[in-house]
This record gives sequence, C-alpha cells and structure tokens, in this order.
Amino acid sequence: MTRTGDRPEDLAPDMIPGRTPHRHAVWYRVLAGAAALLIVLLVAVTCVDVVGRYLFNRPFGGAYELTQILLAALVFAALPLTSADGGHVEVDLALHLLPVGAQRALGRMAAFVSAAVLAYFAYRLVLIGIDQFHEGTRSASLDIPMAPLAFLAAASCVASAIAMILRPETA
Amino acid sequence: MTISLIALAILLVMVFARIPIAFAMAIVGGVGFALLRGWSPAGAMVGNAVFETGLNYSLSVVPLFIFMGNVLAGSGIAQGLFSAADRVFGRMRGGLAMATVLSCGGFSAVCGSSLATAATMSKVTMPSMRRFGYSDSLATGAIAAGGTLGILIPPSVVLIIFGLLTEADIGKLFLAGIIPGIVGIIGYLLAVMVAVRMNPALAPQVSEVRPMNTRDAVSVAAVLGLFVFIMAGIYGGFFTPIEAAGMGAAAALLIAFATGGMTRAALWTAFLDSATASAMIFAIIIGAEIFSNFVSFAGLPDALSSQVEDMGLSPWVVLLLIVVIYMVLGCFLESLSMILLTVPVFYPLVSDLDFGLAVLQDPDAVLIWFAIIVVVVTEISLITPPIGMNVFVLRSVLPDVSLGTIFRGVYVFWVADLIRLALIIAVPILSLYLAT
Amino acid sequence: QELIMSSWLPPKHPIVVNAFEPWAEEVEAATDGRVTVRIMGKPLGSPPAHFDMARDGIADITYGLHSFTEDDRFSRAALGQFSFLGDDAIENSKAYWSIYGGDLDAAEEHAGTHLLGLFMHGPGLLHNNVRKIETPADMQGLKIRVPGGYVADLLSALGATPLFMSSPEVYEKLSRGVIDGVAFTYEAMTAFNLVDHIKYSMAVPGGIYNTTWFFVINEDRWNSLSEEDRAAIDAISGEAFAERVGQAWNDADDTAKEEIGDKVDFYQASPEVVSALHSEATRLEQAWSDSLGDGYDGTAALAKFRDVTGVSVE
Ligand code: NA
Ligand code: NA
Repeated sequence: MTRTGDRPEDLAPDMIPGRTPHRHAVWYRVLAGAAALLIVLLVAVTCVDVVGRYLFNRPFGGAYELTQILLAALVFAALPLTSADGGHVEVDLALHLLPVGAQRALGRMAAFVSAAVLAYFAYRLVLIGIDQFHEGTRSASLDIPMAPLAFLAAASCVASAIAMILRPETA
Repeated sequence: MTISLIALAILLVMVFARIPIAFAMAIVGGVGFALLRGWSPAGAMVGNAVFETGLNYSLSVVPLFIFMGNVLAGSGIAQGLFSAADRVFGRMRGGLAMATVLSCGGFSAVCGSSLATAATMSKVTMPSMRRFGYSDSLATGAIAAGGTLGILIPPSVVLIIFGLLTEADIGKLFLAGIIPGIVGIIGYLLAVMVAVRMNPALAPQVSEVRPMNTRDAVSVAAVLGLFVFIMAGIYGGFFTPIEAAGMGAAAALLIAFATGGMTRAALWTAFLDSATASAMIFAIIIGAEIFSNFVSFAGLPDALSSQVEDMGLSPWVVLLLIVVIYMVLGCFLESLSMILLTVPVFYPLVSDLDFGLAVLQDPDAVLIWFAIIVVVVTEISLITPPIGMNVFVLRSVLPDVSLGTIFRGVYVFWVADLIRLALIIAVPILSLYLAT
Repeated sequence: QELIMSSWLPPKHPIVVNAFEPWAEEVEAATDGRVTVRIMGKPLGSPPAHFDMARDGIADITYGLHSFTEDDRFSRAALGQFSFLGDDAIENSKAYWSIYGGDLDAAEEHAGTHLLGLFMHGPGLLHNNVRKIETPADMQGLKIRVPGGYVADLLSALGATPLFMSSPEVYEKLSRGVIDGVAFTYEAMTAFNLVDHIKYSMAVPGGIYNTTWFFVINEDRWNSLSEEDRAAIDAISGEAFAERVGQAWNDADDTAKEEIGDKVDFYQASPEVVSALHSEATRLEQAWSDSLGDGYDGTAALAKFRDVTGVSVE
C-alpha cells in the first residue's frame, strides 16, 4: 500500500492515469454509453408522465411498464462495467494477515467463483428466455415481448463473467 | 434454525475469502435451497430472482436517487456545501470534520443513498482535511458516519424499500426521518468535539478562514431548493415518492447546468458512477433474495417469531431483543440485504405489540416509529466492522487508507449513534411528530 | 409429507386467513395427518412468478391471478374477467370452476400442475373522487387505474384514460391525485386504505370487471401422494374450495361495506351507462371468443356463465 497524499488533490482516485485502462476499451465505452442513455430515458419517462398529466392532462399510460423494462436493461447493461471495475462489494479486512502470494491466489479463486455464478445466471436466463419466447410473454399495456430482455440479461452475465476473470489482480 | 446458522457461517467464510457478497449469498442460498428442495427447483428459483429483480418498478429509485446525488456532486454543489459549512465551524478545533458532518447531512437531503453520500463527500472533504493535517482516522470516520445520514434524511432508498415491504405510507416515512436525522447531525458534531478534546492531535487548529463567496451561497440554495422541490412535489400531490427520484434527477440536471459547474467529463462520470453503483446494488439485492428464500424455506423466520412469542416477553423487551439482533446481524450483513431479510420477519412481530403509549396507539404510528429504528440500526451497521458498507466505499475511493484506520476513526460516531438509537426508542415522538 | 405453499398476499389477507389456512388445516385432517401444508410467511418469488413456481417445483402449492402475466398461456381463463358476470363470489367461483374447468379445459392451460381451485372475487366497481358518473360522457378524461387489458379497452372506449400500476401503488397515486379513480372491489377499498380518497363508487349488475385466480399444486408432487390422499384432498378442493374462498371474499366485501358506511357514495350505474358499457363489452367478448380458435366456444361459455349466476343485461 502506497501513500499518495501528495498527488494533485482535485484528481479523483478513479481517474488516476494507468489505474483504469479497461475504462478506455471500446466495449466498456459502448456499454457505458448505453447505460447513460438508459438513465436519461428513465428520467425522461417519469418527466413525460408527470408533466403530461399536469400540464396537458395526458398521463403516459406505459410509464410503469417502460420504467420496469428500462430499469432491467440498465442493470444488465451496467453489470459488466461493475464487474470489470472490481466494483462488487467484497471484504479484504483480514487479507493483510496473509502473505502476498496467498492473497493473490485467493483473489483469483474469488474471481473464478464469481464468474461461475455469473455463468450459471446466464444459463438460467437463457432457459427463462426460451420459455417466454414459447409462451409469448409480453408486457401488459405496451405488448413489449419479454424474451429478448432475458437473452440480453444472459449476454450481460456472460460478459460480466469474462470481465471478472480477465480483471488484473490488484491485491 | 441450525441449518440457517450453519449457512450464515459458511457465508461469512466465503465473504472473508474475498468472494463478492452478492455472489456468496447467491451460492449459499442456491445450494442450500437445492439441498432442501432439489437442484432443479433451486435453479428455477435462482433464475427468477435474477430476472425479476431488475423488473421491480419501485427499485427504479435506486439508480435515479443515486444519479441525482452524482449530478450534484459533479456540478461542484457538494463542494460549495462543504465550504459553506466550513464557514460555520471554521475557527473551532476539528471544524473541518464538523463541516464534513454538516455538509453530509445537507447532501443527504438531496441524495437517497448512504453509499453515494459517503462516496461524494469523501471526494469533496477529504482533500481539505488532508491539506490541513487532519488525521486520516478522524477525517474518514466523519465521512463514513456523516454519509449514513443519506438513508435517514429524505429522500431515502431504504425508507422506500421499507415502505414497500410493509405497505407503509412512504410520504410519512420520509417526514419521520427528518428530526432523527437532525438529531444524528447534532450527535456527530458532539462526537467530533469529544474526539478532538480527548486527542487534540487528531485535528490542528485552523486559523485560516476563507471568505464567503457566491458559489457557496448558490450551492446551499440549490440543495435547499431541490429538497423543497422534492418534498413539495410529494406532499403537494404532484408526484409519488418513487416518481420523485426521476423528477429530482431531472431537476438536479437543470440546476447543474444552470449554475454552470458541470463539465462534460463530470457529467459522464455521474452517469458512469450511477450505473456501476446500481449494478453493484442490484447484484446484492439478487443475492439477498436468493439467500432469503433459502433462509425462509429453512424456517428461520417462523422459528424466530414463535420463539419470541413463547417467551411471553413484554413488548419493550421484544423490541430491544429485535434491536440487538439487528446490531449483531448488522456486523455481518450488508445493509440492504439486512433490510430485505429481516423486515418481513420482524415487522409482523412488532405490529402485534402494544407499547402502552398514547402516541403509539395507532398501528401506523408503530410502523413508522419502527421504520426509523430500523433505519438507524442500519446506519449503525454501515459503520460497524467487519462489514461496514460506508467504510468499504471510503476504502475504494481512498485506496491509500487502510480499513483499520477508518474503523478506528469511526468509533466515536458509533457511540453517538448508540445514544441516538436509545433516544429514538425512548422518545417515539421524535419520529412521529412530523409524520402524524 | 409436508407440502410447501408459497403465499404472496399479506399474511392477514381475508382469503389467506379464511380460505387458504382453513383449507391447509383440513388437508391434514382429511388425510389423517399424512399430508400437511406449510404456508410460508414470505413468498419464494414475485407474485407473477407464482404459477411457474408451482410448475417448476420451487414451491409445491401456489395461487395467483391469471392476468399477472400477459402471454398466450391463459387465454381461455379470461372467461371470468369480463363485465356483468355475477355479484356473489361463491356463485362466480363455482360457475368458473365448472365452466372454465370443464367446457374450456382449464387443466390444459395449467399444464405441469394439478388444479386445486379456480375462483373469482366479488363484483368489481368503478371508484373515483372527481364526479358521479351518470352519463357515459362523465367518463371523459378520468384517469383510472385498471387491473388488466380488458377493463382498459372497455374504459378507453368510453373516453377514460386507463393506467396500469401495481395494487400497492394505487394508494400513493390516488392520495396524491395522480389518478382519479380505480377499478377495484369493495374489499380492496379498505385493504389498500383508499376510503378517504374515494367519493363515488359505481356498481354495474354483475360487476364491471372481475379477476380470476388459480390455485395449483406441482404435478409430480401431486402424483407422489397416495391415491387415497389425492382423493381426500380433491374432495375439499375444486368446487368445495370455490365455495369456501367465495364465502371469504363475500365476507370481506361485507366487512368493508360496513366499515365504509356512508363515507363513500355507492350507487347503481344508470341504464344509459350500463348500455354503453354493454355494447362495448359485447364487442370485446366477441373478439376474445374468436381468438380462442376451434374447439372452444367463448360466447357459449359466457352465456352459460350468466345463465348460472342469473345476470342479464340488455
Ligand atoms: Na437522503
Ligand atoms: Na456492518
């Protein structure tokens, strides 16, 4: 652990050059852009609904459903980003008691276990997607088919699993 | 009950082996469910939890309330808030730490999440405190503790989730959090005073008092304006507490652009931080859902409540017992998963109790009071080792400060919290005055 | 053997207390204790997941609304969701069990499970806090929360604006004036704390809408029970359960009416409003019946239903 008290004070730690190279990768920027767009849309849906019903007495009937779907899309668009950042909550409280080698080994193991869980999530989401495709599941008022969302979620979990494994060890 | 405790122990081992909490809960919950129920049903249960959590309309407040806070953080308003607070305490020993507490409280009024509050305020206040030679432990302790106010002072993601779990009126829950939140700020201010009196080396006397500038005033006005906008919108019937998140985010964007403090890079960071924090929180909610399905299948909630009923204790003892359980669980569980796991268990238990106080005659009043108690114990859990989420957030924002240092700085605030908890339990009107 | 039942309604909901819990106790008695039912205090998944949960064996027994999900699975179940069907939950539920369960082959739409019950609640009303609806034109512009697609089509044809949201959201939106009204039962008015925010409640003969519910057990689990136990459970389920749960709904409606008293203006819809609703309803019923395809006659099933419950509207 290094003391970096003398670094420029207005530089946020996540902006320190060299610490976050993956944030400049194309896939990361594309997904981040998609997530930003989804946040904008979430805000917009609420505004259109609220403003519409007060100023024009025209509420937006699909607001509830669209919010649900945009929210799910946002979560799954952002999951690979969080995974690549090492942003999942983990405890490294007792780690410094271990030798560096053991710490690293533990970190690798944790990454693989996480990736396995994410891969399993993806597998279950594919099953759900196939199910919903056959049953024609769709949203109640806007008739948006739900199966594609499940497949997107599955793809997101796969991407997150890969990101977990490829993440450089920082212990 | 035994099987649940074994599962909890395994969960802890996995967590200490650095497996992210979300995935550790998913593994223990999924495998435990499979052992009781079979692999195929367990798989289906896990799939449902993953797919449906994202589709939960009410949880849209998570990204949006966080985004609102991040926009204000990026616009420099959080910085202005801190400078203004610094004006109040500037000449006192520990003044910067007190300004940190006060500005955390102010920021809580426009941010629904404790984690986002702690993350934002650490970026703003830590550099100043370091420049003036504050000890890392006091500085980070003040931020970690001040950040917990994010979920008590409205708006609050946790109060919304509590309202959804119990069908309580979220608007009233928000009002109920205000006075206990102010009590919390006062308590933390006193904690700073006590800490620097006991050990003056923690904070030097700062003689430099910077002049008041327009930017600070604008920031304070912006935060107040946004808080009033959200509250007036909710209580004036313009939008629901859940819609308040979207409206608040839109208003925050307007304010950020109007005050001219928002760069494109800062806006991008606000989007990115909100998205990644949301995915992190949703992963935990998914894990908690899987784990809580297992625990409830294993019969822990039923066993617990029937045990309490069998003991025939007085309502106050039951409540204290629940608080103790929360404190213990709070050491080990992440805050949101704790709420999701425990509220469905304890709320029916508490709603049946008769506390014999006039202010608590109405079942709704008991519910609101209990909500505030739960939020305060949750706040405490956010800064209790080994798993204190706010401390982790600080650790990730300030990678050069060790967890041990932060926890050392937190303990005075922790004591202040215990006193506040006792006060809120003993004086229900603190929570009920505005709400009823 | 212990059967696990996942329940998503609040534990004190009248049909949990007065229908599912007594049924669970009776299962134990009827099988001489060989089969018990444990009702979970907390559901094992979201409400809409409850049919799949029984099919996939996450829980053994679940219940829920057919209209939870919009898909091609429960098309024929819509039989019980139309207007003018019946004012008595017992009669409704018994007719639904026999007609949807018989003529429309409900079992086929619930594949992977064994049917323990099919039921409906008391008549749905149209509550609002803006004005008494006396002519169809009074519906114009009212923002009404609706429980599903049929009521949405019905009300929007008359000029109202239908909105979708979950039931607990209704209180937040109604109390803040975000919506003007809601299509709900009597019972829901008190259950969701809406009484102070409703001024007028319009009833139409046989209800303006209804909801249909399934009550199912995982098929493999069911087949793992002995023939004797299955017969014993079937005897207290199906029609007997329709009677029991219908009674629970009726009692809940009566309690609610008593509690509300004259705080809300309850009135019967004018002939003019009824006839406007009826012509629109007939059109929607026909479209539904046509969509069922060969082998199922929806129109005949509806006629039979109304014949049994004795509702006739011109
Ligand atoms: Na807050
Ligand atoms: Na903790």
